Amino acid sequence: MDRYCFWMALLFYVAASALTHRRLRSGRAVASLHHINVMLMVAGFLLQLAGLVLRGMNLQRCPLTNLFEMQMFIAWALVLFYLLIGPSYRVSFLGAFTAPMVTVLMLTGLVAPIDKPHMPALKHSPWIEFHAGIGILACGALALAFVVAAMDFVQDRQLKSHHPGPTFRLLPAVEQLDVIGVRLLKLGVALLTIGMLGGIISETVVGAWPWPKVVWAWATWLVYAALLAARTVGNWHGRRAAVATMAAFVFLLTAYWGMSWLAR
Amino acid sequence: MNLVLVGLNHCSAPVAVRERVAFPRAKLGEATCELLGAAKLAEAAIVSTCNRVEIYTLAADAEQAGPALRRYLHTYHKLTEPLDGYLYERHNRDCIAHLMNVVCGLDSMVLGETEILGQVKDAYAAAQLAGATGAALNRLFQKAFAAAKHIRSTTAITRGSTSVANVAVELAEKIFRDLTQSTVMVIGTGTMSEATAKALRSRGAGTLLVCGRDREKSGTLAAQLGGRAIHYDDWPVEFSKVDIVISATASPHPIVTREKLIPLMKARHNRPLFLIDIGVPRDIETGCDELENVYLYNMDDMQQIAKDNLAVRKREINICRELIAERVTRLAEWLEERYQ
Repeated sequence: MDRYCFWMALLFYVAASALTHRRLRSGRAVASLHHINVMLMVAGFLLQLAGLVLRGMNLQRCPLTNLFEMQMFIAWALVLFYLLIGPSYRVSFLGAFTAPMVTVLMLTGLVAPIDKPHMPALKHSPWIEFHAGIGILACGALALAFVVAAMDFVQDRQLKSHHPGPTFRLLPAVEQLDVIGVRLLKLGVALLTIGMLGGIISETVVGAWPWPKVVWAWATWLVYAALLAARTVGNWHGRRAAVATMAAFVFLLTAYWGMSWLAR
Repeated sequence: MNLVLVGLNHCSAPVAVRERVAFPRAKLGEATCELLGAAKLAEAAIVSTCNRVEIYTLAADAEQAGPALRRYLHTYHKLTEPLDGYLYERHNRDCIAHLMNVVCGLDSMVLGETEILGQVKDAYAAAQLAGATGAALNRLFQKAFAAAKHIRSTTAITRGSTSVANVAVELAEKIFRDLTQSTVMVIGTGTMSEATAKALRSRGAGTLLVCGRDREKSGTLAAQLGGRAIHYDDWPVEFSKVDIVISATASPHPIVTREKLIPLMKARHNRPLFLIDIGVPRDIETGCDELENVYLYNMDDMQQIAKDNLAVRKREINICRELIAERVTRLAEWLEERYQ
């Protein structure tokens, strides 16, 4: 039943992506299309939430026991931050870039054979659920930082090309994207840090974590802490900052998928 | 009853003629009332802008209304020479189509410009206030405004700027989060740099610095635009605080080079910098554009963007005309049913 919810949510995200494609081609900022896009994203978000709740009720625990569940959770957290951040910053076209990203995360999760029962190595504890939940929320914020960085990269390229394309008028200013990107990074790193602390505390309750996971977690935290320092203290702006933010998220996903496969 | 339009515009009459038949904005209502009595019309509205003077009326006899409107223009403006060669006349369906083309910017000097919609709205409001409009003209203008709104939101007829100064503003708005927080520096005074600075200022650009060898000239321009004049030799000192540079000097060599810019970018914490080079020969070394967060545009770049935008608008004309044709048919049918 929960998978049906995820599939239906995916349909809404696919529709939002198709709308995005149409808007990109037309190059017109039609308000009604923007509202339809937001409504499709909200519908997908609620269906995804229903799927996660149903799965949690079946498992009698937070649904973060295998790679599939984690991927669904990351996609959900990404939409959650989009819905929270988008309206407050009035970032035009953020949803248009978020929808395809969520679609890819959901589709790969649903199609790949990764939804297999998995008994976690550590015994069940609320601290582990806290650690995993906050970590996934951090991934959502950092995924949105990736989306914003992609928009920044595209806008910078258009400005540098001297021949702006149809998306030029639809995307926000590079400086605005830079500011939002840094704020999302701060939020993501703060959540990562809290999640790490949860992980450290859980060790005292349930025993030591497998060392590859510990190495991965610290490496990810260090990469993001260094990136945040570069973008705030080191005055990294524009293309370099955008590329580094996208690369950091690719590292996070690669390490996370790699560790999850190893754990299986 | 027939809709009758008599008028002239930038295509049919030179500016010397247009300025003689223009109606002062404050006197539009009074002139419309006078027109109703003089030409025995049921309804009337006068649209008067720098590019057009048009009288829209509802008259019992179209054949008589045309000459009466021409006479009125002569009498009101106390003209001695004939206007006939400059005036055009449209009836019923053609009159509706003409107004819709006008408010959609299809008949404007700058294709797709949006200012005309506001001007026609003002003219309609003046006529309405003077009690000169009735069911026919009310419907005609309201349907025309609705058509303009629809066309602006569904086609690309208003997309992009078609003047170099506005292209510069559009680019600045895609670089900086808030133009009111940005500082603009004009190096060298000239028509183009003045127009660009004015356009940026009109969009709320914060501080403005004017820097030129001729102190008097730069002082006058600074005062005109509400900015501050600085000495030509001081521009490198102020440069680190500046976000937008408009350079239009007569210098034979580039005044901003890559080597000079690298330390200046460090001093401004690598924040985005928009360089507009209007000088011929160019004032800013092309290598500056390779630096991160530096966006360099010269005259050719901006003219090309303006040209591309105009081409996009031109491609939309047929779509707009099709959309207008549907609305013209519906309104013409309504008029026929009501008045014949």
